[in-house]
Amino acid sequence: MIAPRKSFSLLLASLIVCSVSLHAQTNRKLDIKLPLRNNSVRFAVIGDSGTGDQEQYEVAKEMEAYREAVGFDFVIMLGDNIYGGHEPRDLAQKFEMPYKPLLDAGVKFYASLGNHDDPNVERLYKPFNMNGERYHTFKRGDVQFLALDSNYMDAKQLTWVEQNLRSSGARWKICYFHHPLYNDGKSHGPDLDLRNQLTPLLKLYGVNAVFSGHEHAYERIKPEDGIYYFIQGSSGKLVKDDFHRSEIMEKSFDRDRTFMLIEIDGDKLFFQTVSRTGQTVDAGQVGRQTQPARAVAAGR
Amino acid sequence: MKAWLCNRQCFIAVAAVCLVPLLFAAQGSASNSSEDARLVNEFQQRVKQYLELRKKAAGQAPKPTDSPQVIASSQRELGNKVRVARAGAKQGEIFAPEIAQYFRRQLAAVLVGPHGKDIRASLRHAEPVRMDLQINQSYPENVPLQSTPPTLLLKLPELPDGLEYRILDRELVLRDAEANIVVDYIPEVLPDTEK
Repeated sequence: MIAPRKSFSLLLASLIVCSVSLHAQTNRKLDIKLPLRNNSVRFAVIGDSGTGDQEQYEVAKEMEAYREAVGFDFVIMLGDNIYGGHEPRDLAQKFEMPYKPLLDAGVKFYASLGNHDDPNVERLYKPFNMNGERYHTFKRGDVQFLALDSNYMDAKQLTWVEQNLRSSGARWKICYFHHPLYNDGKSHGPDLDLRNQLTPLLKLYGVNAVFSGHEHAYERIKPEDGIYYFIQGSSGKLVKDDFHRSEIMEKSFDRDRTFMLIEIDGDKLFFQTVSRTGQTVDAGQVGRQTQPARAVAAGR
Repeated sequence: MKAWLCNRQCFIAVAAVCLVPLLFAAQGSASNSSEDARLVNEFQQRVKQYLELRKKAAGQAPKPTDSPQVIASSQRELGNKVRVARAGAKQGEIFAPEIAQYFRRQLAAVLVGPHGKDIRASLRHAEPVRMDLQINQSYPENVPLQSTPPTLLLKLPELPDGLEYRILDRELVLRDAEANIVVDYIPEVLPDTEK
């Protein structure tokens, strides 16, 4: 039998330990690699996120911690946003609940479609900001974003991509879609047919960076035709030991879930890839490429 | 002079022997392409009829909303209305045998073409899906939609908004994306080796 006084002391001690632990969690120093310049464009990147599992929630929690410090106000989603069913409870469990702190803070999500997504549900779901379309575009600062549907790249979409890239006068052009054009993953690998159809347009109209998912790990590719390629497919799903290293690989991480932070300021793009546990697994900066004559002329 | 005449006659004879089959081939090709155009036109007419029926039964497409409940119920409602409107529909109603043969020829030509190897690789990496298909069935919401290689899509007749082609294992499916319904399909359109 524990005396009431001793019991009270134990309870108090437990409360103090919990409180210190919570305080340490919320006030731990984040490893921020972005320069956080005035008026820069800042966003987060997640891919293959919609599992509804504990790990997705942990990534989301880490994103919120970084949002408070970095101040990004939108997230691009690289597909497989909702795995399995697409009933209202699925959207709640696999999107609304994990990202609630971000949504409550006014962060906007701009989705692209993966092979596990139901286009009919997700394109109509307002919080995904797809405006009822399978593919869409939006501009933030001097950055034009094109969210493509790589599941179904038909003639209509290719024409749309060309028209939007040609007519954009933005300083930066970023495309994102689910299936990677370059990738060293063992699970899927690159989509060669998509690459054949899409890269001529990306090159011709001066796309600067491409973000994809599908492969459940993180990889940064050495620039191909001057374009920066990132694969971020582990914000919910993960395949460990997924890579066979090749000469196109710049950096990879397949030990834990991740998300990316991006900051664009002038001619520089800064990136930081953060794991579920807050570890920075890749970071750096790249310069804006010299634009092809055709892209410069078209953008005028 | 005699030798020149002989040479000239020989040349004409050789030219005739070479040109006649070419002329026949060109004629055959022209008739093939006009036959293909007829089949594409026939296919597009059938697609148009389907869309008219759907519009009459179900009205306008739903608008974006914050409510997943509204999306789920409107999709189910649309699907049910279309199912009732074409209750007796059978496989081959849109992909009639001649039209299906045209699609088979188109796909076979792409697969042996310069991009054939890359298309096969893309199909293998697309998380192939296998399921028993039935006309008017809903595409199961928890089954991934297998991505369709762009070079295949570019070879097929363009579809109006709301309809799409999907490869499922070896079948080519015509899917109503808005009602989430299998409108028609061609079985075993891809050769066995493309699995």
